[in-house]
Amino acid sequence: MSDVIIIGAGPAGLAGAIACAENGLRVTVVDEFIKPGGRLLGQLHQEPSGDWWNGIKEAERLHQNAMNLSVDIRCGVSVYNLEKCSQNWNVHTSIGTLTAPFVLIATGAAEYPVPVPGWTLPGVMSIGAAQVMTNVHRVQVGKKGIIIGANILAFAILNELQLAGINVERIVLPEKNPNSQKAGEPEEVLKSLLHASHLAPSPLLRFGSKFMKKDWIRKMGINFYPKNGIKINGTPLQLRKAALEVIGKDQVEGVRIADTDANGKVIPGTEKIYEADFVCIAGGLYPLAELAAVTGCPFHYVPELGGHVPSHSETMETPLDGLFVAGNITGIESGKIAMAQGITAGLSIAKHAGKGKNNINNKLQQAVQNIRTVRQNAAIQFNPDIDRGRSKMKQIWEDQHNNNNQTQEKIG
Amino acid sequence: MTNFENMVICRCEEVTYGQLLSTAAEHKCTARELKLRTRAGMGFCGGRTCRVSVDKIIESVSPDITPGDIPLKYQPPVRPVTFGTVGEKK
Repeated sequence: MSDVIIIGAGPAGLAGAIACAENGLRVTVVDEFIKPGGRLLGQLHQEPSGDWWNGIKEAERLHQNAMNLSVDIRCGVSVYNLEKCSQNWNVHTSIGTLTAPFVLIATGAAEYPVPVPGWTLPGVMSIGAAQVMTNVHRVQVGKKGIIIGANILAFAILNELQLAGINVERIVLPEKNPNSQKAGEPEEVLKSLLHASHLAPSPLLRFGSKFMKKDWIRKMGINFYPKNGIKINGTPLQLRKAALEVIGKDQVEGVRIADTDANGKVIPGTEKIYEADFVCIAGGLYPLAELAAVTGCPFHYVPELGGHVPSHSETMETPLDGLFVAGNITGIESGKIAMAQGITAGLSIAKHAGKGKNNINNKLQQAVQNIRTVRQNAAIQFNPDIDRGRSKMKQIWEDQHNNNNQTQEKIG
Repeated sequence: MTNFENMVICRCEEVTYGQLLSTAAEHKCTARELKLRTRAGMGFCGGRTCRVSVDKIIESVSPDITPGDIPLKYQPPVRPVTFGTVGEKK
């Protein structure tokens, strides 16, 4: 029997496994995918420092470290239920029920789509699917693509598609409607992009960002936004165009696109069909917390963290005895943050298990501090207000810890 | 506009945007009732694809719900499994 079962072999899960094993705990890691690494496997980008971040290499390094510490890693295993039974957690999986006193849920995030008429045609995929096909499976997604939705995730993956020599013709916004909400409003999109403008290869965006923090300049920027867009490594970002429909008979043949005003309203008579053989929809990411939810763990809605997140402390414990969380399940951030959180969770588990001798408290505090340091130095920030989100969760946790007069909401 | 109403939201159960809107309008549904009446989110993927969209539709048709609540409950099994897997013996 293991001391710890970790669900998810991504950056958080593997880092957590290593930290647990280094402190003398027996660890089993399960993951749904055929190989360990999680979303690291798709990542490839150049840091502002000029160094390359190669997710596959990072995954291999973590995997090797974990193997050296005799961590039992089982891939291709799905967890469908999680429940506490007296002192132990029962982890129900496709290969049977595993049992341990400690569980770390590191299930990451899931993508949500922005539905567009015609989005069920073959050839339409989420932007993350294009990433997996390109960088994990090494399959060319198509010859001529259009991305619907302009956000950090879309730009990161656009860059990867470009590195792989895949032709993306343009990025447009989804049509503004109750479902797309802010993702269909040019000014809101521009505002969110300015926080990541240091990543934009376009000098115009980089230069503009300093000034566009002021409302009126930003409004002017949107009003005079070039009709053909601003190029990002050769792919025009067209904030004033909206995708109305993906068209095609048996598969994607093109996208019906119209010009919009500064608020995202379609300008009648400007519709045009642009040819494409693949379309990527970039909605966004939300914490994949279903397993925490079925345990009855309380949740909180923190928009800056990407939605509903399980209640957790800075040391990654939940209110349920023996249940810990790390990585994107606690809020949407980069893989580096996930690793730092995984280490913290691992040390936290070691402490609860009575391992790690006297200096475990120090190590744990250092690990918590390290998460903040990594965050401050992060190149990619999915939500510009991430700090506020983390503070909110910390405050909620401390309030509840101090008075047991709990006001948590239960799921359902 | 019809194009928009015919747009599929829940792919597993093939529930359209129009169906969700008209059901919500006709029955003044809670999130749970809307799910049960239309089967949106009750298919093979367990709502992983459409959950966020269905939540947004609920927000837009019943604006007085508190945004903090999780509108749709999660229940095991959270992954598709065979009866053999969850049962005692094959």
